[in-house]
Amino acid sequence: MADPGKAGESLLSGLGASALQAYRVAGALVLTLVSAWKSSSAPGLGAREVCRAVTVRQIFYTSFQALSMISLVALFVGATLTAQSEILGGPLQRETTGRILVTVIVRELAPLITAIIVAGRSGTAIVTEIGVMRVNSEILALASLGVDPPRLIVWPRIVSTTVSVPLLTVYFSTMAVLGGFLSLFVIDSHAVAEWRSGAVMGLSLLDLPLVLVKTLGLGALVGWLCSYYGFEVGSSPTEVPQKASRAVVQSLIACIIYNAVITLAFYGLLVGGRLQ
Amino acid sequence: MTPGFDAPPPPGLPDFATVEGQARAPAPREHEPGLTLDRVDFDYQGHVIVAAMDFELHRGASAVVTGQNGCGKSTFLYVAAGLIPPRRGAVLHAGHPLGALFPSARVQRGIRVGFVFQEGGLLANLDTMSNVSLALRYHYDVLGLDEAALVARAEGALEAAQIARADWYRQPAHLSFGMRKRLALARALAIKPNFFFFDDPDVGLDPRTAQVIHQILCQLRDDPEVTLLVATNRPQLIERLEVPGYRLHAGQLSPHSGQSSLPPGGGFTRPPR
Repeated sequence: MADPGKAGESLLSGLGASALQAYRVAGALVLTLVSAWKSSSAPGLGAREVCRAVTVRQIFYTSFQALSMISLVALFVGATLTAQSEILGGPLQRETTGRILVTVIVRELAPLITAIIVAGRSGTAIVTEIGVMRVNSEILALASLGVDPPRLIVWPRIVSTTVSVPLLTVYFSTMAVLGGFLSLFVIDSHAVAEWRSGAVMGLSLLDLPLVLVKTLGLGALVGWLCSYYGFEVGSSPTEVPQKASRAVVQSLIACIIYNAVITLAFYGLLVGGRLQ
Repeated sequence: MTPGFDAPPPPGLPDFATVEGQARAPAPREHEPGLTLDRVDFDYQGHVIVAAMDFELHRGASAVVTGQNGCGKSTFLYVAAGLIPPRRGAVLHAGHPLGALFPSARVQRGIRVGFVFQEGGLLANLDTMSNVSLALRYHYDVLGLDEAALVARAEGALEAAQIARADWYRQPAHLSFGMRKRLALARALAIKPNFFFFDDPDVGLDPRTAQVIHQILCQLRDDPEVTLLVATNRPQLIERLEVPGYRLHAGQLSPHSGQSSLPPGGGFTRPPR
């Protein structure tokens, strides 16, 4: 029969170990961000030029190269959402259908799905690239040459995801509305005018700060977490896929939580009273 | 005719044309600090690499570190070069503690480190020329290089390491092991280092490539500006360098006089019969 005293002790030591691990990860995450930010503002004209070129290239990879995938996903999401709203509301609720589509897409789905796509596509690339560099001693080699790895490796990736997610969200929203429009056009081409007026009414100026705060934060989260997990790779190549999968899962969880928190905070604290 | 060795060196690079037999350069500047380890501790997964070590290599001085396989020579070089921070104690280059400095800040203080890894370390997504010129571009303002001087410096380093022009725009993955080793050497030389660390310089190399690397190491040894630390167990290289030798054992460096820097058995402990 198990000794209850020992079981309690083992539970406590397990909790303690988990708390220590969480503390270590939190510390390392903060260190990753602070060192990247500090090194980015360090002096050096050459460093600035080299890092700017890397950042532009990363933005290209993260945003421009993702356009085809975003187009496909957004068109089908918009079309599906419109079809479902049409089933629920029917011909009498077309204005509401347009309103729902725009509200749900612009405020919630576009930022979140875009961040998920960026995490799955560019996040894995970031972890894998940094992880392989760690395994091959490339990070140490950069440091030996007087090149700051946080500045050359981490900061451009955080900036690129932070810039790309808002841009891709705008593109996603546009394509999703287009998908909804096409879907409705196929269902009933005479309903388009009513649907469009509802879609326009669904937007408000308050959406702009909400979407901006959301997308900037989501993008930064993906770049930050994936860079951190890339640097977590030790000396074995087998760690690379492990860390890549962990990074993507953690990024998705962080994005979903962040999205919900911002939505609740925004509507609860800032415009809750007005909407009531 | 050997390319690179017959041409005059580009500005900023030492003349690698000199070979063994030439008179040794003046003695190291004993009044100027070079590499200093001050009560340094480092362990890796419970394996003690360096324990409360004090070590001083004056500016312009050279030394060889030997030791059994797995004793931590490579890790010791990483710590001494400031690539990984010690658990305790301080590593100083030219009197500057490295602990709080970003790598770029070291270059801005005149600390230029050349480090050649035992294996790896080349940037896999950059071609040969970009590998060599990356640090030069990153620090062109600090090093005072314009585009022409930068390209000349990179080309000079590649020629000094005897890398054929046909290989200048190839990825490291497409180069042979010996070529990659020479590329790593060229990259380290290009920044005109005043601290040079070389981990197992000639392991796995053919005699000709090893000869090229030995010549360059002798040149660096004779340069009064360069503080050189080499980790090797190769008797031929140790004899050729003729510099003080230290044996790394149980976290401490113990000096060996002259060529007796070789541990018994040429760096390997023979198993008892």
